[in-house]
Amino acid sequence: MNSNRKQRMDFVGYWADYVRTHADKDWSAQQNIIINSCLRNAALTKEQFLEMKHEKSRF
Amino acid sequence: MEITPKGIRLDRELSDLDKFAIDFSRIIARHARYVIVSGYVSILLGRARVSEDIDMLLPEMDMTKWKKIYSSLTKSGYYCLNAQDAGAAYDYLRSGIAVRFAPDGIVIPNMEILFAPDKVQKLALATRIPAFVGKEKIFVSDLELQIAYKERVLKSPKDMEDARHLRLLLGNGINKLKLNKYERALK
Repeated sequence: MNSNRKQRMDFVGYWADYVRTHADKDWSAQQNIIINSCLRNAALTKEQFLEMKHEKSRF
Repeated sequence: MEITPKGIRLDRELSDLDKFAIDFSRIIARHARYVIVSGYVSILLGRARVSEDIDMLLPEMDMTKWKKIYSSLTKSGYYCLNAQDAGAAYDYLRSGIAVRFAPDGIVIPNMEILFAPDKVQKLALATRIPAFVGKEKIFVSDLELQIAYKERVLKSPKDMEDARHLRLLLGNGINKLKLNKYERALK
């Protein structure tokens, strides 16, 4: 496993432990900052999204 | 968070992704059995990542039933990203191609729907578990099946991380017999 993947896996372990040991409201409030920010700032068109997914519209 | 063989109970704050998943699932549940699989299951349970889409499996169905679902979705403010009408979407689904729905005027997040014709997909539908999120309920894949599928079939770094997150959450509560059974089924 390369260094980057190991770091990512280590963080998954750290965060899963945090989720297990803290109240749902606590970890979810932090998680939602990431999720809501990404979704609200997404500026893809339908065509760009489908191309990114290697799919085509059937229109 | 409480994870038992009968389901999951969460008292989390809802993200925009959760609100989308819950509203969409409520519409589908009026018409058909469904199960949410893959990345969103880990995200719902706290994984620190985002996804632009959610994967949902539906049982194979006839065109009449599908048209009712399609109509309910469009009347509820959703549109199909990759098919122009219910018939075209049905052709996609019957061909094993996913159709995607998003709230009107939005591309992300969207729901990626597939029919479940093969053994593993049917297993996911048959063994789904409820996740009670506050007062809401959505059905997600059995966690041991998710772990087995991500570790044995998908295997990408992202999937291995999702599986690790679920493994760590389950801890000693993981059902090893069930996990082994799923791993054998996926060979």
